[in-house]
Amino acid sequence: MNMRMIREALEASVIEGEDQMELPVEHVYASDLMSDVLAFGKPHSVLLTGLATQQSVISAHMAEFRGVVFLRGKKSTDGARRFARDHRLVLLSTGFDTYEACVRIEAIRKGTPAGPEAGADPRPDAELSLSRDFCIMGGDYANAGSVSTEVKSILKKIGLDPRLIRRIAISTYEGEMNVVMHARRAKARLTVTPAMVQVTIEDQGPGIPDVELAMQEGFTTATEEMRAMGFGSGMGLPNIKKNADEMRIDSRVGEGTSLEMKFRI
Amino acid sequence: MDTRELIERLQLKQLNQFKHRSIDGVFISDMVSDTMARARPGNLWLTMQTYKSIIPAANLVDVAAVVVTSGKEVPAETVELAARYAVPLLWSELPTFELAVKLHALGIG
Repeated sequence: MNMRMIREALEASVIEGEDQMELPVEHVYASDLMSDVLAFGKPHSVLLTGLATQQSVISAHMAEFRGVVFLRGKKSTDGARRFARDHRLVLLSTGFDTYEACVRIEAIRKGTPAGPEAGADPRPDAELSLSRDFCIMGGDYANAGSVSTEVKSILKKIGLDPRLIRRIAISTYEGEMNVVMHARRAKARLTVTPAMVQVTIEDQGPGIPDVELAMQEGFTTATEEMRAMGFGSGMGLPNIKKNADEMRIDSRVGEGTSLEMKFRI
Repeated sequence: MDTRELIERLQLKQLNQFKHRSIDGVFISDMVSDTMARARPGNLWLTMQTYKSIIPAANLVDVAAVVVTSGKEVPAETVELAARYAVPLLWSELPTFELAVKLHALGIG
């Protein structure tokens, strides 16, 4: 199955990626909850969502998806379109709802053999070390995801294993969204050594009164506004724990939270 | 098809007690506001959203049942609310896409 077949089956218009219609697509993932895309979506999938925002496209990029289909005739935001163009994701738009889209894609998927699984990429031979600092602003939804996008792009240039990059990108994105949703601002630092990648995010914010509770899947203090963006379903910290080799949280109520994530190379 | 047959055919888990009723079409969304705007009475609502606000929304639209997909753990307060309003609450391990495909194969929607 490829993007062109999906476009035809959904009678979709192409918002971005006209030149990438032959890209093979291996899986389909239907969700409006971005943490679930990050937690359960498989690489080389296409995302079906009614959430036509930049965050949907960033989430798909972090999870190594091929593209995103906006459903129910939802109009793409300029931010979503720009991000898709800059990061080579296909962006389609269809008037069908989620159920009809699933059924139509299944009809073409049944008729075609599964695409070849992507082979393992060669291990990097460059052993280098670097450190970069970033700033994340609380409440700045327009730029939410820009730090993790930059982190992903740096790690890609270094040539790390794509599966490792995906885990780091997803964890960083969840950490970044937590700052945007809950804190005032944060300093983020990416440190790469030949053996390890470390991401730390230190915020000034309300802190977490009960870290153990916050680590539980489904626990959330998110507002309706955050949920409307597909976040705040209580999956963020559990997602980080699942993806990082080591995770440490220190939090002081009224001061802030420090999150440290380590990934072995 | 009604909810009783559906539960049996797709081996769904029933999370509360309710009166079985017939299903008329399928609606999929994880956004409560979308569901309130677009789902129709009698629809089967597939969602990964487990926050308690799905229950008043389902009640308002008068869906046939809510099916939580992808094996998502449902918080106790959501189940309690479903019991209080007698909103049929079902559960499946299958991801939304896979469940939708099976529903279509059963001729629903």
